[in-house]
Amino acid sequence: MEELAEQLTDLLAQDLDAGFTELVRVHARAVHAFLLRVSGSAAEADDLGQDAFLRAYTALQGYPPERRRALQPRAWLMTIAANVWRNHVRSNSRRPLSVMRVDDAPDMWSDADPGPADRALNADDRGRLVAALSRLPEYYRVPVVLRHVVGMSYAEVAQIQGCPVGTAKAQVSRGMSDLRRLLTWEEEGEVAT
Amino acid sequence: MSGGDHNQLPASQIGSDSPGELGEPPAPVDFALRILQRVGIPRDRYDTYVRLDTAAGGLFVAFTPELVTGAVLATGGLTAERFEELHRSRTGRSAIPTGTPLPGLLTALRTGRVRRLSLDLGPVDALEARVLRAVQTIPAGQLRPLSWLTREAALPPARGADAVLNVLAHNPFVVLVPCHRVTYEHGAPCDAAYLPAAGDALRSAEGVDMAEVHQWSRSGAVFLGSDTTHIYCHPTCANARRITPAHRVPFTNAREARRAGYRACKSCRPVAA
Repeated sequence: MEELAEQLTDLLAQDLDAGFTELVRVHARAVHAFLLRVSGSAAEADDLGQDAFLRAYTALQGYPPERRRALQPRAWLMTIAANVWRNHVRSNSRRPLSVMRVDDAPDMWSDADPGPADRALNADDRGRLVAALSRLPEYYRVPVVLRHVVGMSYAEVAQIQGCPVGTAKAQVSRGMSDLRRLLTWEEEGEVAT
Repeated sequence: MSGGDHNQLPASQIGSDSPGELGEPPAPVDFALRILQRVGIPRDRYDTYVRLDTAAGGLFVAFTPELVTGAVLATGGLTAERFEELHRSRTGRSAIPTGTPLPGLLTALRTGRVRRLSLDLGPVDALEARVLRAVQTIPAGQLRPLSWLTREAALPPARGADAVLNVLAHNPFVVLVPCHRVTYEHGAPCDAAYLPAAGDALRSAEGVDMAEVHQWSRSGAVFLGSDTTHIYCHPTCANARRITPAHRVPFTNAREARRAGYRACKSCRPVAA
Protein backbone atom coordinates (compact mmCIF):
# COMPACT_ATOMS: atom_id res chain seq x y z
CA MET A 1 0.00 0.00 0.00
CA GLU A 2 2.81 2.42 0.89
CA GLU A 3 4.64 1.49 -2.28
CA LEU A 4 1.45 2.09 -4.23
CA ALA A 5 0.94 5.50 -2.62
CA GLU A 6 4.49 6.43 -3.52
CA GLN A 7 3.97 5.50 -7.16
CA LEU A 8 0.72 7.46 -7.16
CA THR A 9 2.36 10.72 -6.09
CA ASP A 10 5.19 10.19 -8.61
CA LEU A 11 2.59 9.67 -11.30
CA LEU A 12 0.74 12.82 -10.18
CA ALA A 13 3.95 14.81 -10.44
CA GLN A 14 4.78 13.50 -13.93
CA ASP A 15 1.39 13.37 -15.61
CA LEU A 16 -1.63 15.00 -13.99
CA ASP A 17 -4.34 13.18 -15.97
CA ALA A 18 -2.83 9.70 -15.53
CA GLY A 19 -2.13 10.39 -11.86
CA PHE A 20 -5.60 11.71 -11.23
CA THR A 21 -7.16 8.65 -12.90
CA GLU A 22 -5.16 6.41 -10.55
CA LEU A 23 -6.12 8.64 -7.61
CA VAL A 24 -9.80 8.18 -8.47
CA ARG A 25 -9.40 4.42 -9.03
CA VAL A 26 -7.65 3.86 -5.69
CA HIS A 27 -9.48 6.30 -3.42
CA ALA A 28 -12.98 6.85 -4.85
CA ARG A 29 -14.46 4.03 -2.74
CA ALA A 30 -13.09 5.43 0.53
CA VAL A 31 -14.25 8.99 -0.23
CA HIS A 32 -17.71 7.70 -1.13
CA ALA A 33 -17.86 5.58 2.05
CA PHE A 34 -16.91 8.59 4.18
CA LEU A 35 -19.54 10.85 2.62
CA LEU A 36 -22.23 8.16 2.71
CA ARG A 37 -21.69 7.56 6.42
CA VAL A 38 -21.55 11.24 7.41
CA SER A 39 -24.51 12.25 5.24
CA GLY A 40 -26.57 9.06 5.54
CA SER A 41 -27.86 9.49 2.00
CA ALA A 42 -26.59 7.77 -1.13
CA ALA A 43 -27.69 10.62 -3.39
CA GLU A 44 -25.83 13.21 -1.32
CA ALA A 45 -22.73 11.04 -1.04
CA ASP A 46 -22.72 10.74 -4.81
CA ASP A 47 -23.09 14.50 -5.46
CA LEU A 48 -20.62 15.59 -2.80
CA GLY A 49 -18.12 12.92 -3.89
CA GLN A 50 -18.17 14.26 -7.45
CA ASP A 51 -17.74 17.73 -6.04
CA ALA A 52 -14.81 16.77 -3.83
CA PHE A 53 -12.89 15.14 -6.70
CA LEU A 54 -13.59 18.08 -8.99
CA ARG A 55 -12.08 20.38 -6.34
CA ALA A 56 -9.14 18.04 -5.95
CA TYR A 57 -8.45 18.14 -9.69
CA THR A 58 -8.70 21.93 -9.83
CA ALA A 59 -6.31 22.20 -6.89
CA LEU A 60 -3.84 19.75 -8.42
CA GLN A 61 -3.75 21.80 -11.63
CA GLY A 62 -2.41 24.73 -9.63
CA TYR A 63 0.20 22.71 -7.71
CA PRO A 64 3.81 22.53 -8.87
CA PRO A 65 5.16 18.96 -9.40
CA GLU A 66 7.18 18.98 -6.13
CA ARG A 67 4.05 19.71 -4.15
CA ARG A 68 2.11 16.93 -5.89
CA ARG A 69 4.96 14.54 -5.12
CA ALA A 70 4.90 15.47 -1.43
CA LEU A 71 1.15 14.86 -1.14
CA GLN A 72 -0.40 12.26 1.17
CA PRO A 73 -3.23 11.42 -1.21
CA ARG A 74 -5.74 9.75 1.12
CA ALA A 75 -5.55 12.26 3.97
CA TRP A 76 -5.55 15.14 1.48
CA LEU A 77 -8.66 13.84 -0.31
CA MET A 78 -10.44 13.23 3.00
CA THR A 79 -9.68 16.81 4.06
CA ILE A 80 -11.32 18.06 0.87
CA ALA A 81 -14.30 15.71 1.34
CA ALA A 82 -14.72 16.82 4.98
CA ASN A 83 -14.64 20.49 3.90
CA VAL A 84 -17.14 19.84 1.10
CA TRP A 85 -19.42 18.17 3.65
CA ARG A 86 -19.09 21.05 6.16
CA ASN A 87 -19.82 23.62 3.46
CA HIS A 88 -22.83 21.62 2.41
CA VAL A 89 -24.19 21.46 5.97
CA ARG A 90 -23.58 25.20 6.45
CA SER A 91 -25.28 26.27 3.20
CA ASN A 92 -28.20 23.92 3.93
CA SER A 93 -28.72 25.49 7.34
CA ARG A 94 -28.83 28.91 5.69
CA ARG A 95 -31.47 27.69 3.25
CA PRO A 96 -34.04 26.06 5.52
CA LEU A 97 -36.52 23.74 3.83
CA SER A 98 -39.56 25.88 4.80
CA VAL A 99 -38.74 28.77 2.48
CA MET A 100 -38.31 26.46 -0.47
CA ARG A 101 -40.78 26.74 -3.34
CA VAL A 102 -43.05 23.74 -3.73
CA ASP A 103 -41.80 23.21 -7.30
CA ASP A 104 -38.29 22.58 -5.99
CA ALA A 105 -39.39 20.18 -3.30
CA PRO A 106 -39.17 16.95 -5.35
CA ASP A 107 -35.43 17.58 -5.86
CA MET A 108 -34.90 17.50 -2.13
CA TRP A 109 -37.02 14.51 -1.20
CA SER A 110 -34.40 11.89 -1.81
CA ASP A 111 -31.93 13.78 0.36
CA ALA A 112 -33.94 14.82 3.39
CA ASP A 113 -34.91 11.47 4.86
CA PRO A 114 -34.04 7.85 4.28
CA GLY A 115 -36.22 6.64 1.38
CA PRO A 116 -38.04 3.28 1.20
CA ALA A 117 -34.90 1.54 -0.02
CA ASP A 118 -32.84 3.01 2.82
CA ARG A 119 -35.50 2.00 5.33
CA ALA A 120 -35.46 -1.56 4.03
CA LEU A 121 -31.71 -1.60 4.46
CA ASN A 122 -32.03 -0.20 7.95
CA ALA A 123 -33.94 -3.29 9.00
CA ASP A 124 -30.72 -5.20 9.70
CA ASP A 125 -28.02 -4.56 12.28
CA ARG A 126 -25.78 -2.59 9.98
CA GLY A 127 -28.75 -0.38 9.17
CA ARG A 128 -29.40 0.28 12.85
CA LEU A 129 -25.80 1.30 13.34
CA VAL A 130 -25.95 3.58 10.30
CA ALA A 131 -29.18 5.13 11.54
CA ALA A 132 -27.63 5.77 14.96
CA LEU A 133 -24.59 7.27 13.23
CA SER A 134 -26.77 9.75 11.35
CA ARG A 135 -28.27 10.91 14.67
CA LEU A 136 -24.82 11.69 16.05
CA PRO A 137 -23.94 15.43 16.16
CA GLU A 138 -22.02 16.45 13.05
CA TYR A 139 -18.83 17.44 14.94
CA TYR A 140 -18.51 13.90 16.34
CA ARG A 141 -19.73 12.08 13.25
CA VAL A 142 -16.89 13.20 10.97
CA PRO A 143 -14.06 12.01 13.26
CA VAL A 144 -15.86 8.73 14.09
CA VAL A 145 -16.41 7.94 10.41
CA LEU A 146 -12.81 8.86 9.54
CA ARG A 147 -11.45 6.62 12.27
CA HIS A 148 -13.79 3.61 12.08
CA VAL A 149 -15.23 3.55 8.54
CA VAL A 150 -12.30 4.84 6.52
CA GLY A 151 -9.87 3.33 9.03
CA MET A 152 -7.45 6.26 9.40
CA SER A 153 -4.96 6.76 12.20
CA TYR A 154 -5.61 9.37 14.90
CA ALA A 155 -2.76 11.44 13.46
CA GLU A 156 -4.48 11.54 10.08
CA VAL A 157 -7.86 12.33 11.65
CA ALA A 158 -6.23 15.20 13.56
CA GLN A 159 -4.62 16.48 10.36
CA ILE A 160 -7.96 16.50 8.54
CA GLN A 161 -9.81 18.07 11.47
CA GLY A 162 -7.07 20.64 11.91
CA CYS A 163 -6.69 19.91 15.62
CA PRO A 164 -4.15 18.25 17.97
CA VAL A 165 -4.06 14.44 18.11
CA GLY A 166 -5.43 14.44 21.66
CA THR A 167 -8.48 16.41 20.57
CA ALA A 168 -9.11 14.01 17.73
CA LYS A 169 -8.92 11.04 20.12
CA ALA A 170 -11.34 12.74 22.51
CA GLN A 171 -13.79 13.53 19.71
CA VAL A 172 -13.74 9.93 18.47
CA SER A 173 -14.12 8.62 21.99
CA ARG A 174 -17.08 10.88 22.83
CA GLY A 175 -18.64 10.10 19.47
CA MET A 176 -18.34 6.38 20.15
CA SER A 177 -19.86 6.60 23.63
CA ASP A 178 -22.76 8.69 22.24
CA LEU A 179 -23.20 6.09 19.52
CA ARG A 180 -23.27 3.30 22.06
CA ARG A 181 -25.82 5.19 24.15
CA LEU A 182 -28.03 5.75 21.09
CA LEU A 183 -27.93 2.03 20.28
CA THR A 184 -28.72 0.98 23.87
CA TRP A 185 -31.68 3.35 23.98
CA GLU A 186 -32.94 1.94 20.76
CA GLU A 187 -32.70 -1.63 22.05
CA GLU A 188 -34.51 -0.72 25.26
CA GLY A 189 -37.16 1.02 23.20
CA GLU A 190 -37.63 -2.13 21.13
CA VAL A 191 -38.01 -4.28 24.24
CA ALA A 192 -40.61 -1.85 25.65
CA THR A 193 -42.80 -1.87 22.52
CA MET B 1 -3.15 12.47 26.73
CA SER B 2 -4.18 10.75 29.96
CA GLY B 3 -7.31 9.51 28.22
CA GLY B 4 -5.28 7.61 25.60
CA ASP B 5 -5.82 4.15 27.07
CA HIS B 6 -9.39 4.94 27.94
CA ASN B 7 -10.07 6.01 24.38
CA GLN B 8 -8.73 2.79 22.89
CA LEU B 9 -11.47 0.82 24.62
CA PRO B 10 -14.53 1.86 22.61
CA ALA B 11 -12.79 1.21 19.31
CA SER B 12 -11.73 -2.29 20.24
CA GLN B 13 -15.18 -3.09 21.58
CA ILE B 14 -16.94 -2.02 18.42
CA GLY B 15 -14.30 -3.81 16.42
CA SER B 16 -14.73 -7.08 18.29
CA ASP B 17 -18.45 -7.44 18.73
CA SER B 18 -19.39 -6.08 15.33
CA PRO B 19 -16.56 -6.79 12.89
CA GLY B 20 -16.95 -4.92 9.63
CA GLU B 21 -20.21 -3.43 10.83
CA LEU B 22 -18.92 0.05 10.12
CA GLY B 23 -16.93 -1.22 7.13
CA GLU B 24 -16.91 0.36 3.69
CA PRO B 25 -20.35 0.39 2.09
CA PRO B 26 -20.35 -0.29 -1.65
CA ALA B 27 -20.13 2.76 -3.91
CA PRO B 28 -22.29 2.91 -7.08
CA VAL B 29 -20.52 0.91 -9.77
CA ASP B 30 -19.91 3.90 -12.07
CA PHE B 31 -19.04 6.42 -9.32
CA ALA B 32 -15.37 6.68 -10.31
CA LEU B 33 -16.21 6.76 -14.02
CA ARG B 34 -18.59 9.71 -13.59
CA ILE B 35 -15.91 11.60 -11.68
CA LEU B 36 -13.47 11.16 -14.56
CA GLN B 37 -16.12 12.17 -17.09
CA ARG B 38 -17.10 15.24 -15.08
CA VAL B 39 -13.50 16.34 -14.57
CA GLY B 40 -12.94 15.81 -18.29
CA ILE B 41 -10.13 13.24 -18.39
CA PRO B 42 -9.89 12.09 -22.04
CA ARG B 43 -11.44 8.64 -22.53
CA ASP B 44 -8.27 7.21 -24.09
CA ARG B 45 -6.34 7.74 -20.85
CA TYR B 46 -8.02 4.85 -19.02
CA ASP B 47 -9.76 1.50 -19.55
CA THR B 48 -13.14 0.54 -18.13
CA TYR B 49 -14.09 -2.93 -16.97
CA VAL B 50 -17.16 -5.02 -16.19
CA ARG B 51 -17.70 -8.24 -14.29
CA LEU B 52 -19.66 -10.73 -16.38
CA ASP B 53 -20.99 -14.18 -15.57
CA THR B 54 -19.65 -17.21 -17.39
CA ALA B 55 -20.00 -20.96 -16.90
CA ALA B 56 -16.72 -20.85 -14.94
CA GLY B 57 -17.82 -18.01 -12.63
CA GLY B 58 -17.25 -14.26 -12.78
CA LEU B 59 -15.06 -12.81 -15.51
CA PHE B 60 -13.49 -9.35 -15.32
CA VAL B 61 -13.13 -7.84 -18.79
CA ALA B 62 -11.30 -4.55 -19.34
CA PHE B 63 -11.69 -2.56 -22.54
CA THR B 64 -11.24 0.76 -24.33
CA PRO B 65 -14.19 2.07 -26.42
CA GLU B 66 -13.09 -0.20 -29.31
CA LEU B 67 -10.82 -2.98 -28.04
CA VAL B 68 -10.77 -5.55 -25.26
CA THR B 69 -7.56 -5.06 -23.25
CA GLY B 70 -7.72 -7.93 -20.75
CA ALA B 71 -9.85 -10.65 -19.17
CA VAL B 72 -9.32 -12.52 -15.88
CA LEU B 73 -11.54 -15.14 -14.24
CA ALA B 74 -12.62 -14.24 -10.71
CA THR B 75 -11.57 -17.64 -9.36
CA GLY B 76 -9.41 -18.09 -6.28
CA GLY B 77 -10.96 -15.11 -4.51
CA LEU B 78 -9.84 -12.51 -7.05
CA THR B 79 -11.45 -9.22 -6.03
CA ALA B 80 -12.18 -6.22 -8.21
CA GLU B 81 -9.37 -4.28 -6.50
CA ARG B 82 -6.88 -7.06 -7.18
CA PHE B 83 -7.98 -7.24 -10.81
CA GLU B 84 -7.45 -3.48 -11.16
CA GLU B 85 -3.91 -3.84 -9.79
CA LEU B 86 -3.12 -6.82 -12.04
CA HIS B 87 -4.38 -4.93 -15.06
CA ARG B 88 -2.36 -1.88 -14.11
CA SER B 89 0.85 -3.87 -13.68
CA ARG B 90 0.39 -5.78 -16.97
CA THR B 91 -0.75 -2.99 -19.29
CA GLY B 92 0.18 0.18 -17.37
CA ARG B 93 -3.40 1.45 -17.68
CA SER B 94 -5.97 2.25 -15.00
CA ALA B 95 -9.12 0.10 -15.07
CA ILE B 96 -12.26 1.93 -13.92
CA PRO B 97 -15.44 -0.02 -13.11
CA THR B 98 -18.48 0.55 -15.33
CA GLY B 99 -21.92 -0.99 -15.77
CA THR B 100 -21.90 -0.96 -19.58
CA PRO B 101 -20.00 -3.73 -21.35
CA LEU B 102 -18.30 -3.22 -24.70
CA PRO B 103 -20.86 -3.67 -27.54
CA GLY B 104 -20.72 -7.24 -28.82
CA LEU B 105 -18.99 -8.58 -25.74
CA LEU B 106 -22.09 -10.14 -24.17
CA THR B 107 -23.08 -11.76 -27.46
CA ALA B 108 -19.59 -13.14 -27.98
CA LEU B 109 -19.61 -14.64 -24.49
CA ARG B 110 -23.11 -16.08 -24.81
CA THR B 111 -22.54 -17.74 -28.18
CA GLY B 112 -18.84 -18.50 -27.70
CA ARG B 113 -18.13 -16.88 -31.08
CA VAL B 114 -15.14 -14.86 -30.00
CA ARG B 115 -13.28 -14.88 -33.30
CA ARG B 116 -14.32 -11.39 -34.35
CA LEU B 117 -13.78 -9.77 -30.98
CA SER B 118 -11.16 -7.02 -31.36
CA LEU B 119 -8.34 -7.46 -28.88
CA ASP B 120 -5.57 -5.09 -27.92
CA LEU B 121 -2.89 -7.67 -27.12
CA GLY B 122 -0.75 -5.07 -25.36
CA PRO B 123 2.89 -5.80 -24.57
CA VAL B 124 3.34 -9.21 -26.27
CA ASP B 125 5.91 -10.33 -28.84
CA ALA B 126 5.06 -11.47 -32.37
CA LEU B 127 5.11 -15.17 -31.47
CA GLU B 128 2.64 -14.77 -28.59
CA ALA B 129 0.38 -12.63 -30.75
CA ARG B 130 0.30 -15.28 -33.51
CA VAL B 131 -0.57 -18.04 -31.01
CA LEU B 132 -3.34 -16.00 -29.36
CA ARG B 133 -4.83 -15.03 -32.74
CA ALA B 134 -4.77 -18.71 -33.79
CA VAL B 135 -6.50 -19.83 -30.58
CA GLN B 136 -9.14 -17.17 -31.21
CA THR B 137 -10.10 -18.90 -34.49
CA ILE B 138 -11.03 -22.23 -32.83
CA PRO B 139 -14.84 -22.37 -33.16
CA ALA B 140 -17.10 -22.74 -30.13
CA GLY B 141 -17.67 -26.32 -29.02
CA GLN B 142 -14.62 -27.65 -30.88
CA LEU B 143 -11.19 -28.80 -29.74
CA ARG B 144 -7.81 -28.54 -31.46
CA PRO B 145 -4.52 -30.21 -30.55
CA LEU B 146 -1.28 -28.32 -29.88
CA SER B 147 0.23 -29.46 -33.20
CA TRP B 148 -2.63 -27.75 -35.04
CA LEU B 149 -1.93 -24.49 -33.17
CA THR B 150 1.78 -24.70 -33.87
CA ARG B 151 1.01 -25.01 -37.57
CA GLU B 152 -1.69 -22.32 -37.67
CA ALA B 153 0.53 -19.87 -35.80
CA ALA B 154 3.44 -20.77 -38.13
CA LEU B 155 5.83 -21.59 -35.29
CA PRO B 156 9.08 -23.51 -35.81
CA PRO B 157 8.03 -27.15 -35.13
CA ALA B 158 11.12 -27.81 -32.99
CA ARG B 159 10.00 -25.65 -30.05
CA GLY B 160 6.35 -25.49 -31.02
CA ALA B 161 4.38 -27.29 -28.30
CA ASP B 162 6.31 -25.92 -25.33
CA ALA B 163 6.19 -22.37 -26.67
CA VAL B 164 2.45 -22.63 -27.26
CA LEU B 165 1.81 -24.06 -23.78
CA ASN B 166 3.85 -21.27 -22.25
CA VAL B 167 1.84 -18.61 -24.09
CA LEU B 168 -1.45 -20.27 -23.11
CA ALA B 169 -0.47 -20.42 -19.44
CA HIS B 170 -0.13 -16.61 -19.46
CA ASN B 171 -3.20 -15.99 -21.60
CA PRO B 172 -4.21 -12.38 -20.78
CA PHE B 173 -7.70 -12.90 -22.28
CA VAL B 174 -9.00 -16.10 -20.65
CA VAL B 175 -12.35 -17.29 -22.05
CA LEU B 176 -12.21 -14.61 -24.78
CA VAL B 177 -9.10 -16.25 -26.27
CA PRO B 178 -10.61 -19.72 -25.79
CA CYS B 179 -7.59 -21.70 -24.64
CA HIS B 180 -9.95 -24.22 -23.03
CA ARG B 181 -10.46 -25.49 -26.61
CA VAL B 182 -6.80 -26.57 -26.89
CA THR B 183 -5.83 -30.20 -26.17
CA TYR B 184 -2.73 -32.40 -26.16
CA GLU B 185 -2.23 -34.72 -29.14
CA HIS B 186 -4.12 -37.59 -27.50
CA GLY B 187 -7.15 -35.40 -26.81
CA ALA B 188 -6.82 -34.48 -23.13
CA PRO B 189 -7.41 -30.74 -22.56
CA CYS B 190 -4.36 -28.58 -21.66
CA ASP B 191 -6.15 -26.04 -19.43
CA ALA B 192 -2.84 -24.22 -18.98
CA ALA B 193 -4.52 -21.00 -17.85
CA TYR B 194 -7.46 -22.46 -15.88
CA LEU B 195 -8.17 -24.60 -12.88
CA PRO B 196 -9.43 -27.94 -14.25
CA ALA B 197 -12.98 -27.32 -12.98
CA ALA B 198 -13.16 -23.97 -14.82
CA GLY B 199 -12.00 -25.54 -18.10
CA ASP B 200 -14.54 -28.37 -17.78
CA ALA B 201 -17.36 -25.95 -16.99
CA LEU B 202 -16.55 -23.82 -20.05
CA ARG B 203 -16.34 -26.84 -22.36
CA SER B 204 -19.56 -28.43 -21.18
CA ALA B 205 -21.35 -25.05 -21.51
CA GLU B 206 -20.27 -25.06 -25.17
CA GLY B 207 -21.68 -28.55 -25.62
CA VAL B 208 -18.39 -30.47 -25.83
CA ASP B 209 -19.11 -34.05 -24.78
CA MET B 210 -16.01 -34.84 -22.71
CA ALA B 211 -17.02 -38.51 -22.27
CA GLU B 212 -16.91 -38.92 -26.02
CA VAL B 213 -13.59 -37.07 -26.21
CA HIS B 214 -12.11 -39.41 -23.58
CA GLN B 215 -13.40 -42.41 -25.49
CA TRP B 216 -11.69 -41.12 -28.61
CA SER B 217 -8.40 -40.49 -26.89
CA ARG B 218 -8.44 -44.01 -25.38
CA SER B 219 -9.12 -45.64 -28.75
CA GLY B 220 -6.00 -43.93 -30.14
CA ALA B 221 -7.86 -42.41 -33.09
CA VAL B 222 -7.06 -38.77 -33.81
CA PHE B 223 -9.07 -38.12 -36.97
CA LEU B 224 -12.52 -39.06 -38.10
CA GLY B 225 -13.35 -39.71 -41.77
CA SER B 226 -16.57 -40.24 -43.68
CA ASP B 227 -16.69 -43.11 -46.15
CA THR B 228 -19.30 -41.32 -48.26
CA THR B 229 -17.32 -38.11 -48.86
CA HIS B 230 -13.80 -39.47 -48.25
CA ILE B 231 -12.92 -36.42 -46.15
CA TYR B 232 -11.31 -36.61 -42.70
CA CYS B 233 -11.61 -34.09 -39.83
CA HIS B 234 -10.76 -33.40 -36.21
CA PRO B 235 -13.39 -35.39 -34.26
CA THR B 236 -15.04 -32.29 -32.76
CA CYS B 237 -15.25 -30.44 -36.12
CA ALA B 238 -18.83 -29.49 -36.98
CA ASN B 239 -18.56 -31.48 -40.23
CA ALA B 240 -17.29 -34.59 -38.42
CA ARG B 241 -20.16 -34.52 -35.96
CA ARG B 242 -22.61 -34.73 -38.86
CA ILE B 243 -21.27 -38.10 -40.04
CA THR B 244 -23.79 -40.84 -39.18
CA PRO B 245 -22.28 -43.61 -37.00
CA ALA B 246 -22.46 -46.19 -39.80
CA HIS B 247 -20.16 -44.12 -42.02
CA ARG B 248 -17.54 -43.10 -39.43
CA VAL B 249 -13.99 -44.21 -40.19
CA PRO B 250 -11.38 -43.48 -37.48
CA PHE B 251 -7.73 -42.80 -38.38
CA THR B 252 -4.73 -42.65 -36.04
CA ASN B 253 -2.71 -40.28 -38.25
CA ALA B 254 -2.92 -38.24 -41.41
CA ARG B 255 -0.78 -40.61 -43.50
CA GLU B 256 -3.12 -43.50 -42.84
CA ALA B 257 -6.06 -41.39 -43.97
CA ARG B 258 -4.26 -40.27 -47.11
CA ARG B 259 -3.35 -43.86 -48.00
CA ALA B 260 -6.99 -44.80 -47.70
CA GLY B 261 -7.76 -42.12 -50.29
CA TYR B 262 -9.17 -39.46 -47.94
CA ARG B 263 -8.49 -35.72 -48.14
CA ALA B 264 -8.27 -33.24 -45.26
CA CYS B 265 -11.32 -31.17 -44.26
CA LYS B 266 -10.95 -27.56 -45.39
CA SER B 267 -12.72 -26.03 -42.40
CA CYS B 268 -10.87 -27.73 -39.53
CA ARG B 269 -7.61 -28.20 -41.50
CA PRO B 270 -6.18 -31.38 -39.88
CA VAL B 271 -3.03 -30.86 -42.00
CA ALA B 272 -1.70 -27.75 -43.73
CA ALA B 273 -3.88 -27.34 -46.81
